[in-house]
Amino acid sequence: MGAELVQGLKYLAAGICMGIGAIGPALGEGFIGGKAMESMARQPEMANTLLRNMIIADAIAETTGIYSLLVAIMILFVV
Amino acid sequence: MFATVGKDLVWRFRLGPILFAFNPATLGTVLGIILILLGLAFWLRRGIPADPEAPPSRRLIFLVTVLDFVENQVLGGMGEKMRRSLLPLIATLFLYILACNLSSILPIPRMVAPTQDLNVTLGLAILVYLLTHVYGIRAKGFFRHLRGYLEPIPVMLPMNIVGDVGRTLSHGFRLFGNILGGAIMVAVAIPVLVDLLVRFLGPIVAIPAAALMGTAASFILNAFFGLFAGTIQALVFTLLAAAYIQVAAE
Repeated sequence: MGAELVQGLKYLAAGICMGIGAIGPALGEGFIGGKAMESMARQPEMANTLLRNMIIADAIAETTGIYSLLVAIMILFVV
Repeated sequence: MFATVGKDLVWRFRLGPILFAFNPATLGTVLGIILILLGLAFWLRRGIPADPEAPPSRRLIFLVTVLDFVENQVLGGMGEKMRRSLLPLIATLFLYILACNLSSILPIPRMVAPTQDLNVTLGLAILVYLLTHVYGIRAKGFFRHLRGYLEPIPVMLPMNIVGDVGRTLSHGFRLFGNILGGAIMVAVAIPVLVDLLVRFLGPIVAIPAAALMGTAASFILNAFFGLFAGTIQALVFTLLAAAYIQVAAE
């Protein structure tokens, strides 16, 4: 009973960790993408520069999501 | 299900007090990719005409296109001198990581993308971190480079050091997490889809349907996570590497 409960709680913890951890990067990348679209529509000649900066900003906004993915993997396979 | 994603196939040996562990799948893939890229490099080099006035050959045009892409997309915002000195490093890094990421779509059993291994990505991140110091010292001199850690006020010294460590760790973890996450999605989604079909349709209808859907899902997932995400992540890693080096050298 005890070991099964711990196993179940691990799955629950990994799911909650990944689910909540995905909210922040999703919102951040959404804002970045939306603003980049607005700027590209306003100044199409800047599109290349904006795309490059958008990808960098996306990657940085994504970092916390990657951390929660790593924590979820550690909960599942390492702990 | 996760047999090939994590920790199988590890060679360990002890040398004195230090325990070494190798993943032969990663090591073999890395060596194969290095050999392929080296062969490609020598083959492309031989295709460049010796006479500069001669009409450009097809291999030369390929080479120019690739390097032009890297120079414009990754190093676009830099000065001419910085761009010249960074182009070989950044182009090599980009092509190597791109080949590593794309190798995950090859249907070879037990072969995984080397960038799914934290040792590879963290090694590349530490390499970039050391190179920021090399470029910084070369551009500003040793003491002016070290004085950068006391900016804007000397109290910020611990903050700057912690910032360096965190930046390097997140640089490595970002590539690793993205590629590993994609691999887990590919590994999980297809069995789950097949299982759901068998459960809802019954085994007789489900087996042909599952074969069809599984194949289609495998194509789509590999195309998204292997080709698209792999290319984007290779670009992101090299863009951030170029940005870190540029910040250190200015």
